[in-house]
Amino acid sequence: MRRALIVAAAVAVAALLVIAPHRLNGYGLNLLYVTVLSVGLAYGWNIISGYAGYFSFGQIGFFGVGAYATGLLVADKGWPWMAAAAAGGVLACALSVPLGYVMLRLRGPFFAMGMFGMAQMVRVLVTAIPASGAGAGLFLPPGSGIVEVYYWTLAVAAGAFGITLWLDRSAFGLRLQALREDEQVAGTLGVDATRAKTTAFALSALIPGLLGGGYALFLTYIEPDAAFSSRLDLQSIVMAILGGVGTLWGPLVGALVMTQISEALWARFPQIYLMIFGGLLVVLLIALPRGIVPSVTAAIARRRAHAR
Amino acid sequence: MIVAQLAVNGILLGGVLALSALGFNIIFGVMRVVNLAHGDFVVLAAVFTVFAFAQLGINPLLVLPITIGAGFVAGALVHVLLLRRLPGEVASAEASSLTLTFGLSYFLAGAGLATFGGRFVSVPYLTGAYALGGLQIPQAKLLAFAVAVVLSLAFALVLRATRVGRAIRATSQNLDGALACGVDVDRVRTAGFAIGTAVATAAGTLMSFVYNLNVQQGVLFTVNAFAVVVIGGLGNYTGAVLGALILGLTESFASYYAGATLAEAAPYLLFILVLLVAPNGILGRRTA
Repeated sequence: MRRALIVAAAVAVAALLVIAPHRLNGYGLNLLYVTVLSVGLAYGWNIISGYAGYFSFGQIGFFGVGAYATGLLVADKGWPWMAAAAAGGVLACALSVPLGYVMLRLRGPFFAMGMFGMAQMVRVLVTAIPASGAGAGLFLPPGSGIVEVYYWTLAVAAGAFGITLWLDRSAFGLRLQALREDEQVAGTLGVDATRAKTTAFALSALIPGLLGGGYALFLTYIEPDAAFSSRLDLQSIVMAILGGVGTLWGPLVGALVMTQISEALWARFPQIYLMIFGGLLVVLLIALPRGIVPSVTAAIARRRAHAR
Repeated sequence: MIVAQLAVNGILLGGVLALSALGFNIIFGVMRVVNLAHGDFVVLAAVFTVFAFAQLGINPLLVLPITIGAGFVAGALVHVLLLRRLPGEVASAEASSLTLTFGLSYFLAGAGLATFGGRFVSVPYLTGAYALGGLQIPQAKLLAFAVAVVLSLAFALVLRATRVGRAIRATSQNLDGALACGVDVDRVRTAGFAIGTAVATAAGTLMSFVYNLNVQQGVLFTVNAFAVVVIGGLGNYTGAVLGALILGLTESFASYYAGATLAEAAPYLLFILVLLVAPNGILGRRTA
């Protein structure tokens, strides 16, 4: 009975999301796209940082790689954009394997800042590629509408959710969580730490890599500040933390709440937008350290225990 | 000749970088917190110094006590109001303090942008240069270097010879030992955060006549300080000075031979390389 309800609800939500672009006006569709993009990015970040416990401040680098790869393949080679975006995702994922093998030896703040540095270096290198407009920007031929980009992004975000669902119930997910709690103990229990975290890292790179291509098409003009947007990077981290790091529903709840707040703020206070967002992150960590989802689940569990 | 000139520039820059990194190091020492808002304090102090010089006509060296005092108070407040309130029982305590300072960094950068605007500024102070056997030694850089050395020595004296300095070193070296000896670790942490931030803002004032900068470059100085400290070994103050010289020289040579854009990547590259090759710093011992 309960299972049937869940399936029915999922089908209804999916149907709504599929029909939505044909019912919404331009602004509504933009907002929906940004929301779905945020959900995808938050889930991508959550795999390596939430489940495996390796906080990264540089996942936006993979997003930028996806965006630029797509831009170059479409503008220079005339690829169809979805093929280009898929190639961008694969490239980001392929880069992440050797990178993860090296970087994941670092821990805590060293990994976090090391990844930040990596993203910055990739950004500098991208601007040095002559074909990428040397940092001045890259125009994409118009043609693919936002509806296509939206469906692409929706599919990737749904995939990211699917991966997280799998992590939440698989032995692999448990291995990652064991790493997060104590890597040495996990090692003694027979978890191949390097392999597990490199895999998680590759998944965490694939998702933003795939999303970046769509974003390039959405903007139709990419430059380093947009493709390696520190705003998107900060946002996806704040969203996952707000909803609940390392939980299945956390990134979704966090992203849904945050996109609405963010949209209102961005429209009204573009000047102090990042300041408010930073302040919000600080307040959140103190007031709601575990995030919305775990806090609500805990509250429900308490009530149930009380009622008995 | 050009090599000698670049070396001089690098060493002069290294002096100021060392001061900034000392502040970063002390905060890591007492708190085990990597303060990602460090560079924002540096840059805010620098921009404030420009503002005071251009709008109010105050000599930048007279601004120094103001920024030091403001940094001291701000650092103490950040610890008392924010970091101390982070719940300790959360599994990822390290991650939450890191994320908190990450948020604080954006907050400070945004506040600075709203207050001072986003223009690149510097203090046009002592724009002349001494000629020394074919080498040009810019007066402003020399002054910044000299003041940075004096402040670093004063800082070392505080750590060596005062009660609070001893308590700070004890807390950094062995938390349990310090607690057992009756050190009020919580107050020591507030003091460490206050002193560390004051050192950062002092470095910021000095940066304002060396660098042309804007309020959004805080992260650059955070990475610089982090890189310096990593090169020298976290918690190792002698190493940090050495690390600052290495970074200063690297930046100086990279910007000449590789261009400004690629030089931007130099601290990151150095940082990641050292972390991977010698994670305990080039001096190879972990004092923290």
